[in-house]
Amino acid sequence: MGMDRPPTGHDVELAALAAAGDRRAYGELVRRHGSAVRGLLRRLGADSATADDLAQDAFITGFEQVADFRGEGAFGGWIKKIAARLYLKKVKREARLIFSDTVEPVEEITVRDASGDGAAASRIDLDEALKTLSRGERLCVSLCYGADWSHAEAAEALNIPIGTVKSHVKRGLDKLRAKLARPEEGARREAHG
Amino acid sequence: MAEPDFEAQLSRLFAESPSFPDAALFNAEVASKLDRGWAMRRVFIGLAGTAAGLFAAFQILSSRFSSEISQLSRNSGHNLQTEIDAGLAKFNGILTGAPASGEAMWLAAGLAVLALAFAVTRAVEDL
Repeated sequence: MGMDRPPTGHDVELAALAAAGDRRAYGELVRRHGSAVRGLLRRLGADSATADDLAQDAFITGFEQVADFRGEGAFGGWIKKIAARLYLKKVKREARLIFSDTVEPVEEITVRDASGDGAAASRIDLDEALKTLSRGERLCVSLCYGADWSHAEAAEALNIPIGTVKSHVKRGLDKLRAKLARPEEGARREAHG
Repeated sequence: MAEPDFEAQLSRLFAESPSFPDAALFNAEVASKLDRGWAMRRVFIGLAGTAAGLFAAFQILSSRFSSEISQLSRNSGHNLQTEIDAGLAKFNGILTGAPASGEAMWLAAGLAVLALAFAVTRAVEDL
């Protein structure tokens, strides 16, 4: 019924309702976490269309497995892990050269500053800075800081040594630190370059 | 900037999810996919129930036919081939003559078809 108010409550309560088959409760979880999952997939390196397809698949998978969500961690983190796993599966299937040292251009993330407090500006800074990373660095940094994966989890999922993950994260952090610390300097260089 | 500070800042930046202008459309598409999956599951359950019902009916009829055959084999005074032919004829008679077991089979088949039709109708309504 269209007049019904959307379900409210904590994510854990909504997940319990969803586990009992309440699709409206799950719809509320999608509304709350949809943008975060879509954003994460873009930051991992997916183009807009792929990111949205995978985000939808992640939420469908999440609904099928929501009974496994016990509320030990945040629902947002749980669904992001599912999305990240789906992305890695796709990347592996397409046999991309993930850990090459080339920096590939990625699409802009279109954002709207709903809060008006400059948060969108910092997000754009991050998204711009992520573009300067190689695909491997970007993937490792986004998995560890965006999806809260440990180095060991990332290494296992990517099927690479943990030392490789750590070195990609370190190089990625160094680049991000330089880029985020001096955004105006970088912009000046680009303008003159 | 110290490493832990920068990592905390980075985690904060990652936690700030972007706001997408088409968020409502995305939510609607997920809901639609969920509904479609639910409908497909219903159809699958209906089909599985139909198949199971038909299989059960066939098994019941087969077991009766087998017991008829074993009864015939025990009867040593008659030609086995003749008796099997008679058994087959009887089995055909069960199917075509509509005695109690034949009625049960047709009833089971009818119920199975009704169940399938119900499941398909609900699925179509949901779609």
